[in-house]
Amino acid sequence: MAKQTDNYFNIDGILATQEKIPCKVELPIYRLGYLDSSSDSDDLLPGTKLELPYWMARGLCSRRRHIVSIEMPKQYREGYREILTADATVVDLHQLGPYFYSFGTDLLNFDHPEVNDIAKCLIKTMQTRIRTIMDSSQNSFKLDTSSITSKLDEMEKHLFNAGQHGLTEFQKWETRETEKLVTSEMVKKHRKRKRIMMETS
Amino acid sequence: MFAEKALELIRELKRCVDGTMSPYNEDAVRQVLDEMKALFEHNQRDVSAAVAGESELYSSVHLRHAGLERNKRCLLAYLYNRLENIKKMRWEFGSVLPADIKYNLCEQEVQWFNKYNKMLANYMRSIGDAGGLDLTQDMKPPKTLYVEVRCLVDHGEFETQDGNILVLKKNSQHFLLRSECEHLIRQGILEHCVH
Amino acid sequence: MSSDTDEMGGDTEEEVMTAAEVLEKLEEAWLNEKFSPDLLETKTDLVECMLEQITAMEENIQRAKKGDFKISIHRMEIDRIRYVLSSYLRIRLKKIEDFTAYILHQESQRKEEDSPLLSPEEYKFAKEYQTSVEGHFNSLALRHMPANSQTLDHKLTVIQPNLDNYIFLRVNEDTQGILIEEETLDTGEEIVDLEKGDQHIMRYRPLAPHVASSAVSLI
Repeated sequence: MAKQTDNYFNIDGILATQEKIPCKVELPIYRLGYLDSSSDSDDLLPGTKLELPYWMARGLCSRRRHIVSIEMPKQYREGYREILTADATVVDLHQLGPYFYSFGTDLLNFDHPEVNDIAKCLIKTMQTRIRTIMDSSQNSFKLDTSSITSKLDEMEKHLFNAGQHGLTEFQKWETRETEKLVTSEMVKKHRKRKRIMMETS
Repeated sequence: MFAEKALELIRELKRCVDGTMSPYNEDAVRQVLDEMKALFEHNQRDVSAAVAGESELYSSVHLRHAGLERNKRCLLAYLYNRLENIKKMRWEFGSVLPADIKYNLCEQEVQWFNKYNKMLANYMRSIGDAGGLDLTQDMKPPKTLYVEVRCLVDHGEFETQDGNILVLKKNSQHFLLRSECEHLIRQGILEHCVH
Repeated sequence: MSSDTDEMGGDTEEEVMTAAEVLEKLEEAWLNEKFSPDLLETKTDLVECMLEQITAMEENIQRAKKGDFKISIHRMEIDRIRYVLSSYLRIRLKKIEDFTAYILHQESQRKEEDSPLLSPEEYKFAKEYQTSVEGHFNSLALRHMPANSQTLDHKLTVIQPNLDNYIFLRVNEDTQGILIEEETLDTGEEIVDLEKGDQHIMRYRPLAPHVASSAVSLI
């Protein structure tokens, strides 16, 4: 099943695939030693350990190629998995992420022994946290949400905002505010920016 | 690390909040294309050598190829997402872009806006047999036939469907058919007064 | 609807529907289009019918005496119909823009006897839109890229609607034997029967053909 961030043009998809993976060089990679900032060598020699972004690691470690081998990043390893199993709702997934789910799902593409456990952990974490996110999105007012959203991963933030949006739309409908025709948000913000620019010039 | 400049373009997009567009980053785009050229040339050299027998160079080729693909993806995504914003502008601002927004677009983006405008107009005109349907109107479900509005800025003369001529002077109030002034409300020229 | 505009002819093959019935069908098409992830079959006959209805009502307004109460009724009805029509076509346009290559490909694979996905005008727009976007990519990026990178890899860049989205639906006709989960190593296949009047939330993919046949409506 494809996820939205797999879309070639999706900004979050690109940012999520930039997340780093610990790698070990298996075959020599000549003339690209400069990618390892900690070494002076012209080449990346077998045994070298370095962190590479997911998109690069994926190109070098697949069924067809084994130029590097990978380790799962620590936030997906057993230690953190146990923390999440204990109580996922208190964990700061923005810090562990911010693309915890998206990157985590991408990691499942690697042929690695921990893949099944990671998959289970992702599902369990999401199931546990979703309830709290849903409840808080339906019960908070716009003002104090940053303390809630600051601990959410990007996907959870989207969900939270969708929940908030639904809530405000419903409230507007209840108070008949939806009947009022309004200036387009874009136009309003544009006017505001223009006014600020003119005042400061 | 490869594609760092390309990633900057994406970060730039992520930073832009609804309604704003940063100036077209011609500099960064050129640097991305330059990096792609360099990666390609290094690869050509290594592939020739590999084919001639130095097969251990293939690992480097794969790595640079990944870098090429990444640069390409970031650059295309940069262009694509900016087009999405430009489209949004057509639907929110109308067929004329405010000058300061236009300033942030590169020439080809301005041309694309005009093309989109034209395509859209042609399509809307072709709906049905009788002159078409303006899809940029009627954005919200109609609640009332007439609306009371207050004018926010001087907008000159306005002819109603019934043939009356009104002067839309700042702060003047009018009672108009919703359908004929909805777009003026969305543009911030009139304000809908509800009681 | 007023007695002036009671009967409205649809296609010669279809039975004659009243304008009210056409509007109801249009509203159903509108909601289905709104809630389905992919583009549904075009309903140009409904659109054209309602546009003719609007024209007829506008003529009535011109003919009527100034101050006649009928004018307001007609005007409100016109506003309402125009809103549904515009919204319906806007939703379709957005999908056409989001999934241009995918939709054009689907349309090219369509068999003669199947209903078209796009109206002729939408098809024209889709083609022009695709050309303009690809042309834009080409002029600013692709043609400046190294030789092997100058084309769009369609496997990567074609964006598809997510047919696994969940949707709310109302069952219009009893429908048996819908396969909603295929057999896997861990679970057996899951087949459901839907009863008229039921409301459910389900994945869109297995329901798609039943939306097209009006057996279910999206809400």
